[in-house]
Amino acid sequence: MHIERNTIFPPATSPTQPVGIGLRHPYYEEVLETTLELGWLEVHPENYFGGGIHRHFLSKAREKYQLSLHGVGLSLGSTEPVSEDHLRQFKDLIDLYQPFNISDHASWSASGNAHLNDLLPLPYTQESLDTLARNIDRAQEVFGRTMLIENPSTYVAFAKNEMNEAAFMNRLSEMTGCGLLLDLNNIYVQSHNHGFDPFEYVEQIKIGPVGEMHLAGHIERETDGGTILIDTHSRPVKGTVWDLYEAAIKRFGVTPTLIEWDQDFPALETLVAEADKARAIIDRATNKEATHAAE
Amino acid sequence: MRLNKIQNNFRDLMLDHPDALHSPPEDLAAMFETGDIALPERLKIYRNNIVNTITDALADKLPTIEALVGREFLTLMARSFALENPPTGGCLNIYGAGFPEFIEGFELAKSLPYLPDMARLELSMNAAYYAADDTALTPQQLGAIAPEDLDDITLKPRAAVHLVDSKFPLLAIKDFCEKNKEGENNETLDISVPGQPIMVYRPALAVKLTPLGQDEFDMLSQLSEGRALGDAVETIIATYPDFDFAAFLQKHMALETFLPLTANK
Repeated sequence: MHIERNTIFPPATSPTQPVGIGLRHPYYEEVLETTLELGWLEVHPENYFGGGIHRHFLSKAREKYQLSLHGVGLSLGSTEPVSEDHLRQFKDLIDLYQPFNISDHASWSASGNAHLNDLLPLPYTQESLDTLARNIDRAQEVFGRTMLIENPSTYVAFAKNEMNEAAFMNRLSEMTGCGLLLDLNNIYVQSHNHGFDPFEYVEQIKIGPVGEMHLAGHIERETDGGTILIDTHSRPVKGTVWDLYEAAIKRFGVTPTLIEWDQDFPALETLVAEADKARAIIDRATNKEATHAAE
Repeated sequence: MRLNKIQNNFRDLMLDHPDALHSPPEDLAAMFETGDIALPERLKIYRNNIVNTITDALADKLPTIEALVGREFLTLMARSFALENPPTGGCLNIYGAGFPEFIEGFELAKSLPYLPDMARLELSMNAAYYAADDTALTPQQLGAIAPEDLDDITLKPRAAVHLVDSKFPLLAIKDFCEKNKEGENNETLDISVPGQPIMVYRPALAVKLTPLGQDEFDMLSQLSEGRALGDAVETIIATYPDFDFAAFLQKHMALETFLPLTANK
């Protein structure tokens, strides 16, 4: 087996099919060896910093599919500046693999010398907006293009929020020109954990900036005070999240959509079946719209 | 409370003893809404995820240590290390620098004196796994050097090359653990036999190990430091009069140990 050194990938085009899955280690060989009805693949760039066998597989996968680089390590919501080394390594991957989308989260991970490797919550305040905007501006400057920012799942809510999360995400896009990555499962988890209507949230998000959607499964944890939902990416997408997705497709139109699965990996066919389900919803939602428009 | 202070306090709480979740600092606790579900229950979700992620990221790099002491004990050591030395960046591929030294000071591991060196070997293997995709010096390139210029070249090892020296027989211990895993092991292991230096390298995509002579190890160490070839050979011969440079070069050209000469300048 040889390392692909000199492959030059063409600039990204929009995926020919809207639905993709996360390319994770257990699926490498099967994804390369079989033909799947998928439009694109997503990876976390952090797993491909450095070199070696992971990059070899990613190069092979990129020959077959369009790619979205979904960051989990930029810590854009930290009050300290985003790591220049991290930005440079991310940029190297963008130059090499020509992804059609690049993204990270409206959250923080780093404080002082510790990077906690979790997507931690921010209060929805002007100070948080200014902090995120400063780091997103820097990242977009290094990347030479706009990125998408994803709404998080959180398990605590701040008492002194100055706006709701949907307004916060809209404002962030206005301030930085960034697009939005709408994670429907996260919205549902948030709505349960913090008590709001997830459909109203989707209605409140501005239409223009939404450039990608995510679907994933969550778990329910029982506590003395009630049930809390945890965004684990370890289960099939739940029914209400599918309903929310249909509402989102009706509002935002056909949008590249990712089936995320990051632990307790099932057979690849399970992910592909989830992707089929998402495509069926897109077909249903857009046909209805077409009929409606023709009336 | 300013965002900077919220993040500092939250970080400290996450890296503190788990009992600290039950009595978070009052000014931090006051930042959050109170609902039916108690704050410690909510904070525990974050702490578990953070601590498990960074602990597993380290422990997963150490399969031989796991075979030697079991996952539970490895997790105990890795978690203690991670809480004191959390990652400093958002990529965990090579997290764990300082863990071998941490084990040296870990009271419960003192009876297994070969653990720190085994951790060094396994973390070197992990670093080699993620090393940059560089190319190797070819025999043609080396052959093109005029003999009178050879003394002045620097033969730098490739990014994946790591040198590990130990007084313990790490390769034998590693083999023993692998055979155990495959369930075909009737041998006993004598850890009192002397160890030897080891080179970790990655000619293509797979990480490999090869034992080294002490003279060979010292020679590669000299070259790693960027010493010119002539100087390095002279230094090694002063200590090891029988050092066979031709055999050394032949072996390491075959293993693709070195970077191309253009990359050395």
